[in-house]
Order: sequence, then structure tokens, then C-alpha cells
Amino acid sequence: MKKITTIITVLSILLLASCEDFLEVKPSNYAAAETSITNEADAEVAINGLMRKMTSSNYYGRNFVIYGDAKGGDFALRSQGRGLDALYTFNHSATSNSYSGFWSQIYHNILQANNLLANIAKIEEAGNATDDLNEFKGQALTARALMYFDLVRMYGKPYNMDKASFGVPLILEPLDASAQPTRASVEAVYGQIMDDLTAGAPLLSTSAEDGYLNYYANLAIQARVNLFMENYTAALADAEEIINDGPYSLYSNEEWIDSWSNEFGSESILELGIYPDEADLGRGSLGFYLLRLGTVKNAMGWFMASDYWINRMSEDLTDVRWGIMDYDESSTERFGSCRKYAGVDLAGDKGSTSAVNVKLIRLSEIYLIAAESALALPTPDRVKAAGYLNQIRKRSPALAPADETTVTLDMIIDEKSKELFAEGHRYFDMLRLNRTIEFNDEFITPAVVIIHRDKTITRDFYKIILPISQAELDANPAIASQQNPGY
Amino acid sequence: MKKLIFIVLSVFLVNAGMAQTQVTGTVTATEDGSPIPYAVVLLKGSRGVGTNTDADGHYSLSNIPSDGVLVFSYVGYKTQEIPVAGRTVINVEMATDALALDEVIVVAYGTSTRGTFTGAASVVKADAIRDVPTLSFENAMGGKIAGMQITTLSGQAGSTSSIRVRGIGSMNASNEPLYVVDGVPVISGNVTQMGIYTSNNVMSTINPNDIESITVLKDAAASSLYGSRAANGVIVITTKQGKQGKPVISFKSSVGLTPSFATDNYETASPEDQVRLYYENFWNAGVYSYGDTYEEASESALYQLNRRFKKHGYIFTAPDNTINSLTISGERAGKYFDWEKELFRTAVYQSYDLSVSGATESSSYYTSFSYTNELGRSVINSFNRITGRINFSQKIGKFIEFTTNVNLSNSGKEGFNDSRSTGNNYFMQSRNLLWPLYWPTDYQTGEPWTSRFGSYAYNPVYYNDQWENSSKTLRLLANETVTVTILPELIFKSILSYDNANTADHLYFSPLHFSGSNVNGSITESNTNINKLVSSTTLNYNKEIASQHNVSILLGWEAERNITDYQRASGTNLPTSALHTVATAGKLDANAYYWGNTMLSMLSRAEYDYNDKYYASASFRRDGSSRLGPETRWGNFWSLAASWRIDQEAFMDNVGVISGLRLRASYGVNGTLPSANYGWRSLTSYTSKYMEEPGGGVSTAADANLSWETSYTYNIALEFGLLDDRIGGTVEFFSRDSKDLLQDVPISMVTGFSSTLKNVGEINNRGIELELYGDIMRRSDFTWTAGLTASHVKSTVTKLYGGQDIIWWDPTGDDNRARFIYREGESTLALYGPEWAGVEDETGKNVWFLNNDETPDLTVDGRPATYDYTNADHVIFGDIHPWLFGGLNTDFNWKGLGLSLNFAYKLGGNTFDFAGKDCNDDGYYWERIMSQWAYDNRWTPENTNSLYPQRVAIDMQDVNQRSSRHMHPADYLRLKSITLGYTIPSDIVSKIKLSGVRLYFNGANLWTLAAHKVYDPEVNEYGTRGWELPIGKTYTFGIEASF
Repeated sequence: MKKITTIITVLSILLLASCEDFLEVKPSNYAAAETSITNEADAEVAINGLMRKMTSSNYYGRNFVIYGDAKGGDFALRSQGRGLDALYTFNHSATSNSYSGFWSQIYHNILQANNLLANIAKIEEAGNATDDLNEFKGQALTARALMYFDLVRMYGKPYNMDKASFGVPLILEPLDASAQPTRASVEAVYGQIMDDLTAGAPLLSTSAEDGYLNYYANLAIQARVNLFMENYTAALADAEEIINDGPYSLYSNEEWIDSWSNEFGSESILELGIYPDEADLGRGSLGFYLLRLGTVKNAMGWFMASDYWINRMSEDLTDVRWGIMDYDESSTERFGSCRKYAGVDLAGDKGSTSAVNVKLIRLSEIYLIAAESALALPTPDRVKAAGYLNQIRKRSPALAPADETTVTLDMIIDEKSKELFAEGHRYFDMLRLNRTIEFNDEFITPAVVIIHRDKTITRDFYKIILPISQAELDANPAIASQQNPGY
Repeated sequence: MKKLIFIVLSVFLVNAGMAQTQVTGTVTATEDGSPIPYAVVLLKGSRGVGTNTDADGHYSLSNIPSDGVLVFSYVGYKTQEIPVAGRTVINVEMATDALALDEVIVVAYGTSTRGTFTGAASVVKADAIRDVPTLSFENAMGGKIAGMQITTLSGQAGSTSSIRVRGIGSMNASNEPLYVVDGVPVISGNVTQMGIYTSNNVMSTINPNDIESITVLKDAAASSLYGSRAANGVIVITTKQGKQGKPVISFKSSVGLTPSFATDNYETASPEDQVRLYYENFWNAGVYSYGDTYEEASESALYQLNRRFKKHGYIFTAPDNTINSLTISGERAGKYFDWEKELFRTAVYQSYDLSVSGATESSSYYTSFSYTNELGRSVINSFNRITGRINFSQKIGKFIEFTTNVNLSNSGKEGFNDSRSTGNNYFMQSRNLLWPLYWPTDYQTGEPWTSRFGSYAYNPVYYNDQWENSSKTLRLLANETVTVTILPELIFKSILSYDNANTADHLYFSPLHFSGSNVNGSITESNTNINKLVSSTTLNYNKEIASQHNVSILLGWEAERNITDYQRASGTNLPTSALHTVATAGKLDANAYYWGNTMLSMLSRAEYDYNDKYYASASFRRDGSSRLGPETRWGNFWSLAASWRIDQEAFMDNVGVISGLRLRASYGVNGTLPSANYGWRSLTSYTSKYMEEPGGGVSTAADANLSWETSYTYNIALEFGLLDDRIGGTVEFFSRDSKDLLQDVPISMVTGFSSTLKNVGEINNRGIELELYGDIMRRSDFTWTAGLTASHVKSTVTKLYGGQDIIWWDPTGDDNRARFIYREGESTLALYGPEWAGVEDETGKNVWFLNNDETPDLTVDGRPATYDYTNADHVIFGDIHPWLFGGLNTDFNWKGLGLSLNFAYKLGGNTFDFAGKDCNDDGYYWERIMSQWAYDNRWTPENTNSLYPQRVAIDMQDVNQRSSRHMHPADYLRLKSITLGYTIPSDIVSKIKLSGVRLYFNGANLWTLAAHKVYDPEVNEYGTRGWELPIGKTYTFGIEASF
């Protein structure tokens, strides 16, 4: 019967309708790109899409976070060949282990932001602007700034090292497929980041927005950027506005451990939602990468804490933050496995070991930015620095609080390492502060010789930034002469 | 010898003015004197007066004028014209025709005969494939058709094959030919959506026993009538029809056993040698790389060994700190587990076919029913199939005929992941991961071993019971044809075809399985329903003018619609391992959508021949496809062809050696559509859900003016018969220029995408094909024939976007098995990567040719080289395409006994060994099993002139790159099939009321001669060998009986 019906249908289509109609077959699960954002509701879908794309394994979903700790000396490898080794060994070249996924994924995301902004502009031109559209515009601008900030730190030299050197191509609208953009200077990229942030800030909501960017997330990113640009006054002002006016509060020592088993805690200024059947990477998730070999099936024990981090933490064995650490495969005495992304009881924040939110900007970081900025002011405010530091340092009850005489930059940076371990910050701080990074290569067993870098590196080492991949150089001859030096 | 049947229907009755005599006689074959049934006997010049011979070769014609001329013809034999000259009995001996110019072949939109067809087409008849135990016809065709390469993607039962007709003409769109069954294009390829788990070949829903003939259309003249889908050739399958006479009931049954693989495949070194290698790996690292003492090095190596294997019941010691004193003790010492025995078995193939066919003046029918079951070599691979077919045609009055072909089949397959998956690929596990020192049980507790082994394999003995997969296909293929003879010269034909393949995939992991434990068990049911509806109508005009001019004109139009509906339901968190249904799951997930395309076409063809000497034809087709945008969707495809029967010319009469000679040539244009249904549209996808809210984003940067790919092909052929056609053959030269090829042009990733699809590339395929046939012995009781096919195809990339190279990977299994490059002027399968310079004798280190101006570490053969592969430039180091490939067939017949051998061969070219990276490793994969080949050829202080380096675990990188080290010569000769058949004499058979009984034995892949002996030389279409299951040696016994 179905057959006959279909036959009759087709025959009548053929006889009655024109050929062109018969040949017009549209997809059932895609929309035409040109007309897919025409109103507020469409813009909201696009923002959701953008946030989801930020949780890609090539970005905040895994690799970016590991990048920040594996290269910063806080992580160590137990065994060769388990995955993402090259981030630790610096085995990078344009042709192998270029980690071009960072480049391609973030630019893909920037396209989404640019496309949304371009379409919002069209809607505005047609006279249909609304408050909600403004909110989405603010989110898109802030997201774009955040992504450029990450890109320029991975591919360009530190701002305070050589801001005239190559940053990354600065793209603010959707490009034609044939475009061959070239790199802007580090300074120009930072300039655009601040422009986007300041343009986006007034458009954004000041209430907490679980899973999305709001006004305070924008301000927190401004604080970070200002810190990297050594605008300490501005960084302190941004941080203090969040601390004083924002709807956030620090976890108490009792709450701290449990905060990793719950979504959207009181410190979360920006937390990316990782949900089952969405960005959940399963056995390839960030959480799994930090679990001890065999803790759960398929846990391979990729990245463990380095001896240096463990020694730092061992200043106080009663530090509440030990609570998130589990012993690693080297010994039941060595607490090198971090469960921030798996949950203390391996049930994450919503019952899954792998679908666990990424707490991208926490109030603790803001306190430490405030402390560091206060100390770095032209006229250091050591009281403030000690005060902000102590709010975090109290998580080590056995350590004496800092005061205006004892507070040092090292204390703040060490605190940041302890508090924000496995949150992707250490490496960028080390580069910014021009510190030597030492790698715990002795932890690897069987012993191997790392040939792609020395045991210690400084920011003079050419591999502190990634190469532009050969694929990009080949497809975009205009950028070929702008490869990072040394590669 | 079973005669092939084709009946010319004589429907045009002309009143012959004078009534004369009756003529009778017998038609026999010259070669063995056997009667020829169904031969056609016609009275020349008075169309319609004629008959067929009966089963004994007898014929009888009445009212024949005494001065008439009778024309005797039969497929495969030379047509003879014999004057009656007043005789009443005329017995005729017919000689076989090597050129087989009168053989009727099924071509595009109709039939033709060899002698009049102006295109390049090759035919394989049912006889040639009937004894090969195969689930799908492609697998039986290897080496039988010049210019066609058939590769199997896996030795698993039910896997998809890949066919390349005359090289590779596309980079991005499909290179597979179009399949046409009984006049209409059908669904082809893999129909499972289960991703990489296993493929499910929809062609195996057609019972090979129902196939009468397979025609491969190769040049533009033959295929252009299929327009925008014809560039890769067309495979035209015709199913069996009933034959006039008594109903024939045939029964066939066969059983095949496959106890082993066809060749060695990465056979492993002995358990003791594996242990020695393991020790050596770490000992070498200590002594040679870290400057350790023997004691330190030995201690480190023993520590590793004990750490890995003590838990399995083995303890290692080496009192003198060298490998010489390495001893294995412990509870399981001396005992090893035979995983091969757990993972593989003797495959069993069983097939039962029953068919009933017959025909009367007004109707004919063929019905069949079959059951096939195969338990594959792998313990979790099996296939079963039931098919039923009815082909029925009925004449209504004198002018109308209805034909119905219905095929219904239900097949099911289960299998394993053929890709490089440490957890799931059982073949890889057996050769690379499952140490004989691993056991399925814990030696201390006796409990099943459930942890992942150190090599990343899992215990299959335990886990086999914890998962299941299946892919079941229900296929209905129905077409209805009405043929109306409007005028004797004008025939109207309309075909309506409905092809529906519904595939239901099932994948279950118990909560105990490593793939299901994270989610407490998972189950996925998916359903893919492919609908293809084709309506094709043609009008055919045939006219003979002044008895020397034949004109034939075909006009037609066609509409096609393809819609695929996909639904998936899956669940996790299962309550009990007893119930494997989505309904019981705690958490549900689903997906459903559809996709499709449509096509409209107009087609036409004109053919003309003069005096049976000169032939010409032209075709034109216009296609419109929904896969292209409104501006570009209509395309024109055409061809021109001519042929000349030189042997019919008077000047050839005295050339005794040459008994047949024909020249033909063609030129034409055909195309290939993009694979993607919506490739020309820029799309927003909605796959970026975020926190359970819908999320979308721009997903493609498309070119709205995307177009089909166009091939311009010319073809020149010479067909010849020598020495009274005892030797015959065809030499064919072709060249195909494929232009506007779709290319994923790499673009700056700053745009947000890494590539965009454009029509830019160009490829040329040119080559020579040879088909030779010889009657070596022609005795009445003994015949010996032999045939040879040989093809040389040169496949070259001639133009790329901006002249820029494109690096690409063999897509098989998504595991980047081999790196290729498209570069102008180079082969379409050019291997690309570092060029390995072998091993330095003194140190046992890998050496690579630099191929650049950097400072060399050393020179090898006078060329600058380096120890560090990252310093070496990538170059093209080899070509996959063989220099020559084809087959060799020979048949012996003595009384009822027949022996036939079919060989396939490849000469020149290379294969790329991807699995060697795993089992011929330099120390990186230190907990994997190595092959005997790797063990024997590694560098040791005693074996310094070695093929491969010293095994040493020194760095966290795999220096074993995809380099020329893994390239091996592809040459092989394989006995694809040997058949010994015995037809029991009819006088014996008739006593038990049977009309024919034949017993046979078939051996498949029994003998192989290969230049590189480490793995099976029959590789996939990219010439690469990975961890897919190799094919086996199959011994089949069968019986055929007819009543």
C-alpha cells in the first residue's frame, strides 16, 4: 500500500509540479546559514551554540586546561604514550603535534561570535533592537575577547616581553573562504580585547547567569587582561568591583571540597556546563585525564601533580585542598591525582565521572588577582595584598596568615598554584612573571630522556609558544612568513 | 556444458507467399558434437518464420521455400547461413565464436550483441561465478574483467567490497560504479549506520544464484546513457528468466569450510622470544642510552617484566644480568594461553538454493528461494540470509507484455570492529596485544580477568559475553515493466521500480563491559530506511531500410527519488543484564531525521549500421540533480562511437589466419555527482546543544555553484580472432580525463573552517586492457580452454587548486593508516612521508634521508641522512597502483568432468603496511607482541646487517613513522578459485527421475605467491593493510540437481 501511495505521489508530483520543485530537496536537520539568525530567539540559540563550542576537547573541555598546567610544571607524566604527552614534552613542530586544534577550534568559535554580531547588527539596522539582543551582543563580544586572550597567549609572546611581536590574526566579521589573513601584533590583539570587553560590559546582566557570560565575567576577564598587561591599578579596580558588588562569595573551608561535587557554586563567575550527551568526552574527558590509572575502568592516569606542587602543598598537611587529591599509581602515599573534574566520590557534579562542569573563572582567582595587583601597584598596598591573599590562604589552616610585612609575590603565586591547580593558569603566570619552569621528569617510569626541551625552561625558549601548523601555512601563504621564530 | 539460453522472440508474422516443404534437422556443436538446444533457426528475408531447437537440438520448420536460406544462430557461436537447396533435412554443426559477436549482452537501457555494440563492455556469466562460495557476487569476479579491480574491505562475512573500473577518477566524490539491476539503478554500498563497528554490504541481499549475467560498462559509449553517475563505470546485473520448455526445478546445496587464513598474517614470535624482546628493550635502553651497568639495566628490565607479568603467574630472573640467563619461573611457567584458539574458529558456510522456472509462448517465470548461513573465522562474526525472488512476465495479446521482478531478502550480520581499536579488534589483539602470558583467569583466584591488560587489550573470553551487535537488513526490490509494441518497429517500455532497504542495527554493552561500565550498560537500536523510487520510460524505434541499413533510436525520460529515514533510540543505565532492550533503560536518548536527493533525466540514443560492417552510435542525456544548486544543476552528457567489422570486407577473404577482426572507437562525456546531498548549501547545524538548550552554529562554508565532476573518455579497441577463432581477444586503449573534480580545498583556518568544497582538480586515467582467449584442445571428449585478462592503468593527478599539494589519509577505519599526497603530475595514490634510509649497521639506529639542505648526521648511499625523522623532509616515496593486474582462467573438460582454475595477479606497485607500525615497533609499544618478522629482522650486536633497528625503549615518541619503511612490493599471484566438477551422465541420472546432477568441489584462495610474505597481499582499494580481518582458505563441496 505504501508502495502504491508513494508511486502515485511521485507520479502526480512529476505530472503536476514543475521540475525545479521536484529537484528542490532541503535538509531536515540543518537550516540555511544566511537566514538562520533573524530574531532574539535565533540569537539565543546561537549563543548556546557558541558556549557549547567553547567546551570542545580542543578548548576548555580539556586541552586548554591541560596546556596551562602541563606546561607550567604543576603536572607530571607517569608513563609515556598515554595521550597529550607532547604538551608536557614540548615535542612541537609545524608538522607534528602542532596542536592546531586550538587554532582551528577557537577561530571556528570566533566565527560564530562574529556571525552572531553581524546578524544582530542587521536586525538593529532594521530597527528591531531589543534588550535581550543587547544582552546576546554583550555575551558575544565578551566571548570573543576571552578567545582572543587565550589565542594570543598561546601563539604570541607575553605582552610584557615583546608586545610588538606577532600576535594572531584579528578577525571581527565573518570571512570569505578565500581570505588569507595575516597576524596582528600582540599589542593590537590586546587592544581589541579591551575594546570588546568595554563595549560588551554595559550590555550585560549583573545577576549570576549559570553557564553564561555576565557583567562580572566580563569584568573578571578585564581583570585578567589588565594583570597580563601590567595595568595593576585597573586590575585591582576590576577585581574589587567583583569582590564588593558581585553576587558571589568565597567557599568556607567546610564547603570547599563539596564545591567540586556541585554545579554553579557561590564562587563561579563563569562555569561552562558539560552535560551528558553534549560535551561529555567520556573516557577522554578532563576528569579522566587526571584520574589514577585504573581508578575507574579506562582511567589511564595521564597527568598527575608534580613533586614541586606536592612539596608546595606539603607545607600544610591539613590544607583543605588535599581533600580533592587522591593517591597516584606511584605510591599510596603520593597524592597526585586531582578529582576537580571527576568529583571526590567520582560522581562529578551531576552523577557522572566525566560530564563535569568546568569552573572557568572563580572568585578565588579574583582575590588572588586583587592581592597580586595590590602588591604590584606603583605604591604597593601591602595591607590589601595580605588581606586578599589571606582569604584564600586560610584554606591552609596550619600556615600563618600573611601580613603587610610578610606578604610576598611568591606567596601569592604559590597560593594561586595550590588553589587553581588543574585549572589552566600556572603556565601563563610563569611566563608573565618571567619565572623559570622546572619539570618533574624523574616521575616518568620507565625513565626516559626528554629531548625536546631541557628540564628547566624560561620564556626565552622558543617553544614557549606554539607553532602555526603547516596546514595553516600551506592554505594561507600570506601567513607563511609569520611563523613563530625557531619553528 | 551447460548452454546459455537466449530466446529471440519472433513476434512479427509475415505471410510467406508460397507454401513449400518442411525442413527438419539437428544442430550440434563442432567442439564436442553435443546438441545445442534453443538455437535460433530463421528463414532469411522473411522475418517471423523461425523456431528454436528443442532440448535435443532438433528443429522443424514448415512452409520453407526450396530456394530459401536458413539462418542458424546461437549465443557464443558463429551464425551460419545455409541455402535449403531443396533439402528437407539440414543438420548443422556450429562452431564457437571467439569474438562471440552474436552474444547478446545487456547494456544501458536495453540489449545489444557483441558484434554490433560500439562501446566497451565486459560480461561475466552466471557459470563463471556459480561455484564460488560468496555472499555477494562481487567477490567472485576478481581477475575476470580487464580494467576492473575488486577489493574487499575485510575478511568478515558480509563486508562491503569496493570496485574500481579503470582507475580512480575522483578525490572527493565516489569512485564506486553505478549498480543497475534489471534495468534500474539500485541501492549499493554499506547500509549500516553503526559507524566503524562493521560494514553491511547491501549487495549481499541479492542471491548470486539468481544472477544470469553481469555486464560492466567501461567506456563513455557504453555508460554515458547513465549521465551524471556513469564516470566510474556501470555494473549491470540481469537476473534469471524462465526458459521455454518443461518447468525446471533446480536444487543446489553447498558447504564450505575455512579452517585458516589464506596466508600468514603477522604471525607472532614465540612466547619465549616475546619475553626476550621485552627484556632486551629495557636492557638496551639502560646499557646503550643511559650508560647503565649490565646489572642496573638488567634490574630495570626485570622490574618491568615482573611488574607486568607477575600478576599473571610468571616470575623472571637473569642471574648473569644478560639475556642469556633470562629464565621464566612462577606458577604458570612453561604454560601459555592460546588466544588464537579462543578468537578464531573454522568458518562454516552453508547455502541452499531452490529455483523453479519455466516458460510458455505467452509467459515465463523464474522463482527462487535460498538460505545462506556463514559462521565467520572470528568467533563473533556471522551472517545469515534468506532470499526469495519471483521474475514473471506475461504477454497480453500480441502487443503488450508485463514483467514483474520481485526480490525479498532478510539478512543479518554480526561482527567486530575492523579498525585499529585495542579494545575491540580481535584480529589485532591476537597478533599484537594478547600476550600468551595473559590468561583469561586470575591465577590466584581463578576468577575471570576483567581489568584491562597492560597492552590495552581486554580479556575477550570474559567480555565476549558482555556485548552483542547485529545489523539486519530487510530488502524489497520490486519492479514492474510494461512493454507495448505500438508498431512492429516501435516499442514503448516503462519501468517503475521501488527499492527499499531497511537496516536495523543493534549494539549492546552490559554494565560489566568496559564500554558500558561508565554508564551502567548501554543499548542502541537504530533504523535506517533507504527508499529508492525510479520511473523510467523509453520509446525504441528499430527499422531496417533496404535490407542494408539498420537504424535504431531510443528516447526516454527518467525520474528518481531517494529518501533515507534514520531513527535511533538508545538507553543507558540498564536494570538487568537479562534484558537487552531500550525499553528497560533508566535513561533514554533518541535521534531521527531524514535526507535524500532527486534526479530528473532525459535520454536518447541513435544507432546505425550498414551492411553488418559499419556501425555508429550516439547518445545524449540531460540530468538535473537536487545535489546541486539551481544555477548549475542541469548537465549534458553524450557520446559518439563507431565500429568496423574488418573481417567482413572482401579484402580479408584471403587472410586465412585472421578469422575475425573488428575495430571500434568511442568518445564521450559523463559525470559524477557530489556525494553530499546538500554540499552546495551553506548550513547552520543544531548539534551544539548546551545545558539541554538547543544550540546552533554555522557549520559549512559552501560554494553555491558547486557542480558535478565531468569525465571525458576516449576508447579504441581491436577485437580479433585467429586460426579459425581458436585464439581470440580484445586489446583496448582508453584515456579518461576527469575534470572539475571536487576538492576539499584547504583554506585558512582563521576563516573558521579548514576546507571548502570546490570543483577544481583534474585527473587522468589511461591504460591498456587485454582480454585473450584460447581453445587449446578441441576434441570431442576433451576440451581445454584458457583466458587471460591484463590491465595497465596509469592514474595521474593533472591539476590541483592553485597547484597546491593536498595531503590526505586513507580514510579506512578513520585511523590515519597511510599518508598520501595529491600532487600535479604524480599518481593518484602517491605515498608521502619521510624516506627511510634503513638502519645504521654500527649502532642499529633508524636513519632517514634528509631530502633537504640541513646539515646531515651521516650519509647513506651517498645521500645526506639523519637520525632524527623530524629533520627529514616528507617526499613521495612510492606508488600504490600496480603496473599490471588481471586474471588467468583455464578450464579442462573431459566427459562429465570439469576442472577450472582462476588466478588473480598483480605486478608492480606497492602496499602500505599500517599494522607493522604496531607489531614491528622499535620499543615505543613495549607491552605489545611483536611479529616473528620483526623479531628475526631486528638489529642485535650479533645481527648488525639487519633490516630493522635495535629495539630500545628510550623516548616517549613513536619514531616508527608512516615512512617508506612500511612500503612493500604488492606483486602476487593467487589461485582465487579452483573447481572440480562432475556431471553425472544423464542415462544414470534419468533412472532416478532427475534431469541433471552435478557434484563439485571449490577451493578459494588455496595458494598464494606473494613478494612480501608477512601479510595477505590482497589489500583494500588504497593499497593499505591494517588490522582488518584477512580472508581465508575456503574448501567448498556442493551438489546441484535439476528435475
